[in-house]
Amino acid sequence: MNYTFHWNQALRRLPEMLDGALVTLQVASLAMVIGVAIGVLLAYGRLSSNRVLRTSAAAWVETARNTPALFQIYFFYFGLGSFGLRLDPFMALLAGIAFNNAGYLAETFRGGLQAIPPSQTRAARSLGLSALQTSVHVVLPQMFRIVFYPMTNQMVWSILMSSLGVIVGMTSDLTGVTQELNARTFRTFEFFALAAVLYYAMAKLTILAARLIGWRLFRT
Amino acid sequence: MFDTAFSSNDLMFLLKGAWLTIQLTVVAVAIGTVLGVVFGWARASLPGWVNVPIGAVLDVLRSVPLLIQLVLVNSGKSILGLSWSPFVVGAVVLGLYTAAYCTEIVRGGILAVPATTRRAARSLGMTYWQDLTSIVAPMALRVSLPAWIGLTLGVMKDTALVMWIGIAELLRSSQIVITRIQEPLLVLAIAGLIYFVISFPVSRLGALLERRWADDSLKADQ
Amino acid sequence: MKILKLFAAGAAFAMLAVPAQADRLDDIIASGKLRCAVTLDFPPIGMRDANNEPVGFDVDYCRDLAAALGVDAEIVETPFPDRIPALISGRADIGVASTSDTLERAKTVGFSIPYVAYNMVVLTKEGSGINAYEDLKNRRVGSTSSTFEALALEADMKKWADPAGKFQSYQNQADVFLALDQGHIEATVVTSTVASDAVKSGNYAGFKIVDEAPYETDFTALITLREDFGLINYLNLFVNRQVRSGRYAELWGKWVGGPVPDLTVPGVYR
Repeated sequence: MNYTFHWNQALRRLPEMLDGALVTLQVASLAMVIGVAIGVLLAYGRLSSNRVLRTSAAAWVETARNTPALFQIYFFYFGLGSFGLRLDPFMALLAGIAFNNAGYLAETFRGGLQAIPPSQTRAARSLGLSALQTSVHVVLPQMFRIVFYPMTNQMVWSILMSSLGVIVGMTSDLTGVTQELNARTFRTFEFFALAAVLYYAMAKLTILAARLIGWRLFRT
Repeated sequence: MFDTAFSSNDLMFLLKGAWLTIQLTVVAVAIGTVLGVVFGWARASLPGWVNVPIGAVLDVLRSVPLLIQLVLVNSGKSILGLSWSPFVVGAVVLGLYTAAYCTEIVRGGILAVPATTRRAARSLGMTYWQDLTSIVAPMALRVSLPAWIGLTLGVMKDTALVMWIGIAELLRSSQIVITRIQEPLLVLAIAGLIYFVISFPVSRLGALLERRWADDSLKADQ
Repeated sequence: MKILKLFAAGAAFAMLAVPAQADRLDDIIASGKLRCAVTLDFPPIGMRDANNEPVGFDVDYCRDLAAALGVDAEIVETPFPDRIPALISGRADIGVASTSDTLERAKTVGFSIPYVAYNMVVLTKEGSGINAYEDLKNRRVGSTSSTFEALALEADMKKWADPAGKFQSYQNQADVFLALDQGHIEATVVTSTVASDAVKSGNYAGFKIVDEAPYETDFTALITLREDFGLINYLNLFVNRQVRSGRYAELWGKWVGGPVPDLTVPGVYR
């Protein structure tokens, strides 16, 4: 082995990389919030009796699940760009991950919704709750409890997926910052090893935070 | 109206990329499954001091973006002076990544077999090996197969990332064609369609198996 | 840090896969194959023809070198940011990929003497209102990550520090043009050869070259690993002979045209 590691060079840029990690968390969390909102709608859409709703929800879900996330992000940037619809790299990355999250979460939510006995809905409705009230107060709280663990996983996925933004010129997130530093110095191994450590830490912190939130929300 | 520079030549080029995508998927899933079965069995059957370290290492593979893993192994192997081709690097990284997920699937499958069933098998005079191959394996397989199919599809899509280390798989091939003919929308739509055509039937098959076997187990319970 | 070093060394030792190092020149001759890292989205220097086969100035240059060595040439496609990783990771023996000879890079790779020199121009679209390099300061601009012009442009954007100005980098040249074409960016600074080729190609409506970028000449060199002195020696002589024999001018005329760039720097040795 005739390679000398320059770890110092990498560690000196740690503050820049930490800033990048913050952007990563930002994109991932935003994409998660949007993904959950759309995912719930898609799940209801797939269970709806309306054919148009059902088909369009299915189209979204199957496209999100059957093409690579990298492809989806690339499409949101350069595919939409050819329609003259320009997203900047941050928005394209956000849209790509949110699109993907929504597709996967929709299936999770659908499973969760189906696990709740229909008798509960009937009971709520016969007590005089509207359909919307039934969803918001009776069905969804239970569903979120059922799907909380898979949702945590999706959040971790969201963080890992955000590394793909570099392909559409995202330079402010952790991978983007790392790649820029790498391009300048060619110390690939050192910088990416440091990035790996930071991603691992983010993933673990996410799971820890989710445990705390879950314990707080569902401890009854 | 339908004026395009996209030729049959370009379609062949994309299909060649798709073929590479499939090859890489098959190799990675093969590596990942073999390792996953071994590690999964170890995690379900061996004491904590073996189980926990394996679990921790595999957990790292699941917590670091695949892109970063690819770049790290790609530069790491040259630091070590290994002359692996990019395909080998891609296969190794994807294979280990698959193994990390497959291990949990296999472990879940094995643990889903009731302990009473296994005790019954042993008390009928079966050896540990017989119990494992004739009782546990078939039952665990049923639990694990749908998840395994899902994993395979996930790996197929993740192969898109190997373009970073210089393999012209489907997505990279489409970028190359876009560079020349400048019709991103058309080329991306075709590439997306090819991914979909590979992935969708398999994913339906997985869903079908899941439903059929779920029904079976209900019947068995009744 | 020592621990990490020890760990890495231990891992290497465990692999027991470190062969005795011969000079790469010997390896190339012995293997009968010269693997050149070439960037193929840098027309007309490196590109693909209608059959998606690699062609261009750099491709011919690599083939000439292989012929001189008496071996077969193999083109390894590498986007710009991947050139040096490809070399270090052993996917290619040398880089024939218009690599600017920066001191930062020389810490990691070995450069030959310059084999081509470039000038940079501002490329934009009709109606952008950009007429000079200084007009870029409050615009959305972009370039290919890690190239000479990207580093220079980003540095100037930082210096101008105009709040409306934004620098964006992409992973390959094709994506930069695509981004300019779609309006993600309003202008780019790019090698004059590439810019005029893009304008001529007719692939991009309304592209036009408006100004020269006020950078020093971008001398680019062949690259290989830092420690392969035997090979670097050979490359230096080869570059010299390409010029002497007139082959350099011939290739330039074939692929680019116009005045052949001078490869010497007045007032200094080498």
